[in-house]
Amino acid sequence: MSASGNEQERQQTQQGTGSAPAANRPTDPKACAKRLWEAARGQRWRVVVAILSAVMYVLFTVWAVAYSAGLVDLLWEGIKRAFETGTPYQLDLTDGGMQLLIYGALWTGAWAFYSVQSLVMSSFAERLNLQLRKQISAKLGRLPLRYFDSRQPGDTISRATNDLDKVSQAMQRGLLQLIIAATMLLGCAVCMLMYSVPLTLAFVAFSLAGAAITYFVSHRTLDAVARRQAVLGRLTSEVEESYSGRAVVKAFGLEGKTLERVGADADEFVCESAHADFLTNAVGPMVRFVMRLAQVCIGLGAGALVISGGMSVGVFQAYFQYMAEASGPMTELSLSYNMLQGALAAAERVFAFLDEEEVSADPEHPIAPAEPVRGRVCFEHVRFGYDPAHPLMRDVSFVAEPGQKVAIVGQTGAGKTTLVNLLMRFYEIDGGRITLDGVDTRHMTRQALRHEFGMVLQDTWLFEGTVAENIAYGRLGATREEVEAAARAAHVDFFIRTLPHGYDTMLTSDAEGVSQGQRQLLTIARAMLADPAILILDEATSSVDTRTEQAIVRAMEAIMENRTSFVIAHRLSTIVDADLILVMDHGNIIEKGTHEELLAAGGAYAELYRSQFA
Amino acid sequence: MSDRDTREADVREADATAKAELAAEQEDEEQVEASSHIGAYSRKQAFALLKRLLAPYWPRVLATLGLMVCDIVGMLYVPTELSAMLNSAISGAGMDVVWRHGIAMLIAALVGSGGCIASYWVASRLAADIGRDMRIAVFARSLDMSTSEFATFGTASMITRTLSDVNVVQQAVLMTVTMVAPVPIVCVVSITLSASIDVVMGQLLAAVVVVMLAISVVAVVRSAPTFMMLQGFIDRMNVRLRESVTGARVIRAFGREDFERHRLNRTFDDYAKNAIRVNLVFAVTDSLTFFLMNIVEVLVMWVGADRVGAHAMQIGSISALVQYAIIILFFMMMAQFALIGMPRAAACLARAAQVLDVEPSIRDAARTLPAQEGCEEVARFCHASLRFEDASEDTLHDVDFPIMRGEMTAIIGNTGSGKSTIASMLLRLHDTTAGEVRVLGHDVRGMGLADLRAHISYVPQRAWLFSGTIAENLRHGREDATDEELWHALDVAQASFVRELPEGLEAPVAQGGSNFSGGQRQRLAIARALVRKADLYVFDDSFSALDYRTDAALRHALANELKDSAVLLIAQRVSTIRDAGRIVVLNEGRIVGQGTHDELMGTCGAYREIVLSQERGGGASDVR
Repeated sequence: MSASGNEQERQQTQQGTGSAPAANRPTDPKACAKRLWEAARGQRWRVVVAILSAVMYVLFTVWAVAYSAGLVDLLWEGIKRAFETGTPYQLDLTDGGMQLLIYGALWTGAWAFYSVQSLVMSSFAERLNLQLRKQISAKLGRLPLRYFDSRQPGDTISRATNDLDKVSQAMQRGLLQLIIAATMLLGCAVCMLMYSVPLTLAFVAFSLAGAAITYFVSHRTLDAVARRQAVLGRLTSEVEESYSGRAVVKAFGLEGKTLERVGADADEFVCESAHADFLTNAVGPMVRFVMRLAQVCIGLGAGALVISGGMSVGVFQAYFQYMAEASGPMTELSLSYNMLQGALAAAERVFAFLDEEEVSADPEHPIAPAEPVRGRVCFEHVRFGYDPAHPLMRDVSFVAEPGQKVAIVGQTGAGKTTLVNLLMRFYEIDGGRITLDGVDTRHMTRQALRHEFGMVLQDTWLFEGTVAENIAYGRLGATREEVEAAARAAHVDFFIRTLPHGYDTMLTSDAEGVSQGQRQLLTIARAMLADPAILILDEATSSVDTRTEQAIVRAMEAIMENRTSFVIAHRLSTIVDADLILVMDHGNIIEKGTHEELLAAGGAYAELYRSQFA
Repeated sequence: MSDRDTREADVREADATAKAELAAEQEDEEQVEASSHIGAYSRKQAFALLKRLLAPYWPRVLATLGLMVCDIVGMLYVPTELSAMLNSAISGAGMDVVWRHGIAMLIAALVGSGGCIASYWVASRLAADIGRDMRIAVFARSLDMSTSEFATFGTASMITRTLSDVNVVQQAVLMTVTMVAPVPIVCVVSITLSASIDVVMGQLLAAVVVVMLAISVVAVVRSAPTFMMLQGFIDRMNVRLRESVTGARVIRAFGREDFERHRLNRTFDDYAKNAIRVNLVFAVTDSLTFFLMNIVEVLVMWVGADRVGAHAMQIGSISALVQYAIIILFFMMMAQFALIGMPRAAACLARAAQVLDVEPSIRDAARTLPAQEGCEEVARFCHASLRFEDASEDTLHDVDFPIMRGEMTAIIGNTGSGKSTIASMLLRLHDTTAGEVRVLGHDVRGMGLADLRAHISYVPQRAWLFSGTIAENLRHGREDATDEELWHALDVAQASFVRELPEGLEAPVAQGGSNFSGGQRQRLAIARALVRKADLYVFDDSFSALDYRTDAALRHALANELKDSAVLLIAQRVSTIRDAGRIVVLNEGRIVGQGTHDELMGTCGAYREIVLSQERGGGASDVR
C-alpha cells in the first residue's frame, strides 16, 4: 500500500507507447507539406504574394547589376573625355546622372519587392502556428486519459512549442530563402556566362568547394550540437539531483564529491560547447575564405582581360557584383534545405499528435438520471484491462446505495484507482456496465456524469493563479464568501490567512511555500465547493496528519450526509465506519462487507487490520 | 560593389539564430523570473559580477580583439586591392602589377579569414570558460548555503540560475565579442581606408556611420523591451500547457475542458501577437538597412564620379568605397541583433549575482572542538528556539530534552509542529536563535560541520536517492563498506526485494529513486543510513510509506542493530513509537509532554488525542 499506487497502476499502460525520439527527416514530406498548406487556409495569399515578390526582387537585382555595367562604362567614358579635353568634370543629369538615378530606381524596385515579401511573411508563420496551437488545445480536451497517463508531459508540451517553432522558423525564412537562393543563383549564372565562360566555370568550381565545406561542416556542427545537448542533459540532472537531495548531500558530507562531479561535467561542457559554438560560427568565414580565393583567381583573369581590352571597367565590377550575389545562395541552399526538412519532421510530429485517437463521442440522445440525483452506483460484471490483452478486472460487481460510504482497500496495484477511473469514465470498460441511479453511465454525456462527482486525488493539482481562483475551480462563479466557507470546512482557512496576500496570494507553478498536506487541503476545499452528489476521495488525506485528517473527515461527513462517497485510504482508521468495505486484490473484489463483518470473517481484511494496529 | 546579398543572408541567419536561442530556452519552465525587468541596483550587481568573471580573462579578450583587427583589416583590404587591380589594369600597367595586387589580395584574404576563424575559436572558448566559472560559483555557493537560505530561492529557481541563466549569459558574451565588439573597429578602419583614398570620401563615410549609429540606437532601444516581453509570453505558454497536460484528470473531473482551452488559447494569442510584432520589427529594420544601402551606393557613385573627374581618386576605387559602406551597415545590423538580447542577459547575470551575494550563515567556527567519543548523552536540546527570518512566531520554542545512547527517543506531533526542524537542527542545517543544541559534548556551533555530520546518520523525510546503482547509493553512507555489509544493512532495513532484482546491488537507480516505489525508496534510504556507523541515527518520518507489518518488522530489527547508539525517531503513527524510551510530544513548536507511552496516556491530553485519532472505530480502543 505504498503512496505510489497510481504511478504503478499507470505504468502498466505505458508499455509500447514511449515517445519516439525526435527525428530530423519527415517520413512523408509530400503529405506533410500538403497538410501544412491545408492548415494555412486564409493565409495562403501571403505565400503567393511573397513568392511573386521574391522572384521580382531577384529579377530587379540581376537587372540592376547588369545595368551597372553600362552605367560605369558611361561614367568612365565621360570622365575620360573630360580628361582628354582637359575640361573640369562634373556629373550632371545629361551625361550619366540620369542613368545613375535609374540605377538607383532599379535598386529601389528590388528593395520594394524584398520588403513586401519580408513584411507579408513576418506574420504568416505565427498565424499558421496559432491555428495549429488552437487545434492542439482543443485536442487536449478530447484525448482519452490513457494518452496522458502513458506519456511524459514534456513530450506533449514540446510538440506545441519546440516543434511548432521549427515550423515557424522554416516558414518565415527557410522557404523564401530557398526560392530566392535558387532563382538568384540561376539569374547570376546566366548573366556571368554571357560575360565570360571560362571565368564563370572557375567560379562554379569554387562555389562547389564552398558548398562542400558547408555540407561537411554543418554535419559536424549537428553532431557537435547533439554532443553538447547530451553533456548539458547530464549536467542538468546532476545539478537537479544535488539540489533536490540537498539534505542527503549535507547529512552524508557529500559536498566535495558533488562539486567534483558537477565540476567535471561543467568542464566537459566547456569543451563541447566551445566546439559547437565555434563550428556554428566558423562556417560563414570558411566559405567566405573560399570565395575570397575565387575573387583573387578571377580577379587575375579578369585583370588580364581588361588589359587586353576583352573586358570593360563596368563589366569587371558588374561581374564581381554577380559573384557576390551568387556566392551567398550556394551555401544557403544546403542550409535552408536542412531547415525545411527538420521543419517538416517537426510538423509531422504535431500532426501525429492531432491524429491521436480521441474519446468516443457522447451519445446523440443522452439520458440523464432524474433530478435530484440520489447517488445509487452499481457495478455489474465489469471487465477491464489497461491493455485489453491483459485484463485487470475480470468480473467486478457491487452496489453503493444512496448516502452510503464505500471504502476500497487493497495492496498497491490492486485496482483501487482503476475503479475510480472507470466510475468517472476516464477509461472505458471492456464489458459489463456501470449505472448511476439506474442509468448506464455510457448513455450519459461525460460532462453530465462527472458533474455529479466531486473528486480529490492524492496527486494534487494546482494551477498558476490565486488561492481563491484555485478553490473556485470547483464551481464557476462562486462568491468569496462561499470560497472562504469551503476553505474553513477543509481546515485550510487559517493557513491561507498566514500567506502574504491571503486568498489573493498567487500560487506559482512549483508552489514551494505550500506543503503537500496543505495542497491536499486546498483540493479538498475545491471539491467541497463543487457540492457534488457523490464524493470520491483517493488517498485524499495521505499527507495530512491524523488529527487534521479526523477534523476534515468530520467536516466532510457533515457535507456528505445523504451523499454517496467512495474512499480509498491506506489508514484503516479513517474507514472503519464505512457502510461497505471492498477489499481488492489483483483487480478483483475478494471481500466485501462492513468492518465488523469482515473482522469476524477473519480473511484478508482482518489480517490487514491486525497488521496496522499490532 | 558586391557582397550585398551575402551580407543580407548573414543578417537573416543572425536573426534566425537569435530566435532559435529564444526557442531553445522554452524548455525551461522556470524562466518567468528572467523576464522581469531589472532595477538599477541589480544592474550594478550584474556589472560587478561581469567584471569579476572577466578578470582572469583579459589577455584572452585582448587576443580576441587583436585577431578581430586582423579579420577586419583583411576583410576591407580585399576590395581595396581588387579595385587597385582594376585601376592598374585600365591605366595601362602591365600584368606584373596586376599580379602584385592579386598576391596582396591573397595575403589579405589569408590574414582576414584566418583572423576571423581564430577569433571565433578564442571567443567560443572564452565564453564557455566564463560560463563554467559562473556555473561553478553558483553551484559551490549553493552547497555552502543553509537550508533556509537555499529555500529563499527555491529549488526550481536555483536550477534555472545554475543552468539556463548561465547559458544565456554565455551566449551573450559570445555575441558581444563576435558581433558588437567589431563595430568600432570596422568604423575606424574603413573611415581611415576611405580617407586614404580620398578625404572627401572619408568624410562621406563618416557621415554614413553617424546616421547609421543613430538609427541603430533607436532601433535597439525600441525593440529590446518587446523582445524581453516575448520571453515572458513564451514562459506563460509553457506554464499553461504543462498545467493542462498534468491536470487532465482534474480538468475532466470538474468538466472544465472549455475553460482550459480558452485559457490556453489566450496565451497562444498573446504570444502570436507579440511574436508577430517582433518579426515586424526585424523585417522593418532589415528593409530600412537595405534602403539605406541603396542611397549610400548612389551617393558614393555620384560623389565618387566627381572626385574621379577631379583627379582625386581612380574609377575602380568607387567599388571599394561602396564595399566599405556595405560592410559597416552589415556589422551595425549584426550588433543590433546582439544588443536586443542584452537586457535579458543582464537580468540573468543579476539573478546569479543575487545567489553569490548570499553570505552563508552556517559555517565552521574559527576553532572547532572535536566530538567526544562515547558520551552517554549523545545529544541534547538545551532550551533551544528557532525563528525563521521574517516570521512572527518561533518555529521551535524552548525545546529541552536529551537523546541518550542505547535508547529510542521519539518525536510525535501534528503536521507543521516542527518535528522535522528538530532533525535539521541536529545536523546543523539550521542554527538556533536562542538556547543551544549539543551533540557529543559540545554546542554544535563549536564543532566542525564535517565532524558533526560524520557522527550522525540520517534518513530524510523524502527518501531521496541519487542516480547510479544501489551499491553506490548505499556507499554514500560509508565509502569503504564491503558488499557483505551492504547486504546486512539491506536485510535490517527489510529491503530484501533487492535480492530479487536481477542485478542485485548493481541495479540501476533513476534520479531521486523514481524507479522504486515509495516504500522501497524509504527502505533503501534506511539501509544507506545503516551502512554508516554513527553515534546517533535520525529517522525523519521514514516509515510512513511502509505498510504496518514491514514497519513492525523493521523496528524490531533496528532495536537489535542499533542498541549501542542513540536513535531519534520522528513519526506520525503512534504504533511506530509506542515502545520508545522517551516520547516527546510537540505542538506548534513547543513540547507539551515527554515520557513513555503509558506515562503520556495518563498526563498528556494532546498525546491522548493523537492516539485516539488513530484508533477510531470498532474494537480498536485497546489494540495490544
